[in-house]
Amino acid sequence: MSDPMHTLLCEKLGIEYPVVAFTHCKDVAVAVINAGGFAVLGEAMHPPEHIRADIKWIRERIGDKKFGIDLVLPASVPEEKTVEELMAMIPQEQRDFEQQIKAKYDIPDPKEAPDLHTWGGLDQSRALAQLEVVFEEKVPVFASGLGSPKFLLERAHKQGMMVWGLVGTPRQAQKQIEAGVDVIIAQGYDAAGHTGQIGTLSIVPQVVDLAEEKGVPILAAGGITTGRHLVAALALGAAGVWTGSLWLASRESDVNLPLKERLIECETTDTMYSNCISGYTMRTTRCPWHDEWLSPQAPPVLKAPLQMMLSSDYIQASLDYQRKDLMTEAAGQGIHYITEMKPARQILSDIVEEALDVFDRFAGDDDDE
Amino acid sequence: MQDNSNENKDTPAPFKSGINPDYKGKHAECDGGAQIAETKYAGRQFFAGTLTGDYRDFGDYPWRWYLLADLSAKPEAYTQEAVWCDEGSLILMDN
Repeated sequence: MSDPMHTLLCEKLGIEYPVVAFTHCKDVAVAVINAGGFAVLGEAMHPPEHIRADIKWIRERIGDKKFGIDLVLPASVPEEKTVEELMAMIPQEQRDFEQQIKAKYDIPDPKEAPDLHTWGGLDQSRALAQLEVVFEEKVPVFASGLGSPKFLLERAHKQGMMVWGLVGTPRQAQKQIEAGVDVIIAQGYDAAGHTGQIGTLSIVPQVVDLAEEKGVPILAAGGITTGRHLVAALALGAAGVWTGSLWLASRESDVNLPLKERLIECETTDTMYSNCISGYTMRTTRCPWHDEWLSPQAPPVLKAPLQMMLSSDYIQASLDYQRKDLMTEAAGQGIHYITEMKPARQILSDIVEEALDVFDRFAGDDDDE
Repeated sequence: MQDNSNENKDTPAPFKSGINPDYKGKHAECDGGAQIAETKYAGRQFFAGTLTGDYRDFGDYPWRWYLLADLSAKPEAYTQEAVWCDEGSLILMDN
């Protein structure tokens, strides 16, 4: 039996294990890459020069190994409004309810008000400025966490860069495969944050089938936190796994300590798919904010982006005052298996060892002592 | 509708506008979304409607956006009557 862990993804990236860490922490990225996996650093929130500095920092620590940068490309852009106009649109009923929550849980105002002037998220100009850095620095892998990277494929391929796209439906996958995207990340409902409606076990084989003819490697995403998940993903035809929640509580992670403790305590049922944080449904760990908005006394959840503006003080205060009882974070249903604050290298090696044990079991190789 | 006020300021608009007559009146769907402001999270959105044919090109690559109007499907949270959609995320329904 050839090495089942050495997949097409390993060939293309020159890595040892088909495990990709998606992280917003560059220390985690470096640790995973140097341990034989691959990492993609989420930089959507950072200005271009910050991204350039992070790329330099990573290169100094991984040598000529490959790495990736993830940006969010907007796919739809509504009418723009000023912060003041948006704030004025929040009804008094919801403002009063937010104040009641703050009083009930003794939540002070955040130390610094969240900077609302970045409202609107990414626009095209900002995204293009971020992308330009990725091109100038010839980052080996560009991943688009949302939105089609079709328009940049030609330039990226001329530079020898790989382009990855994350999808939540087979239809999105079909478009990206036809466009020539190099790797597709098929993300299921189990995942953290804003996910599609299709479960990981259902979407991965569908996307694998769509990509078979062109030989595009597929990464499975959503709820993957153990070696058994890794084996299952490979059995579904994936060339590897895309993991996020797995690294949040790692020793290298820059998530603050009480939040790491909270993540370790969480069970699968402690993640909630709710619109009370942002106005869009997203999976996060349950916190008092969820409970209050689920109560019969709660007013209707506001439309985005107003609900996010309403929740931003609560979230910021929970971090500013280290209030573990209030904290929330995007986390997938695989959070049950996040039980220790281990170094990233150990997390990777535990997953790989467990996966190899499963393969051995399947092969009937139970002779080793 | 989209605020076009930045086209009237002294500074040039960061895009080039045009009309694609082949797209005018075509039914289309847009899969995808944008980052949720103030967070590192991506927000998924789905729209369906009729293309006006108007487009905007950003950057040198270029990155083309079409105006989708008369929306027959949009996220519950979306309050506008039209939306600019990335060409790569559009599905033409009349083909």
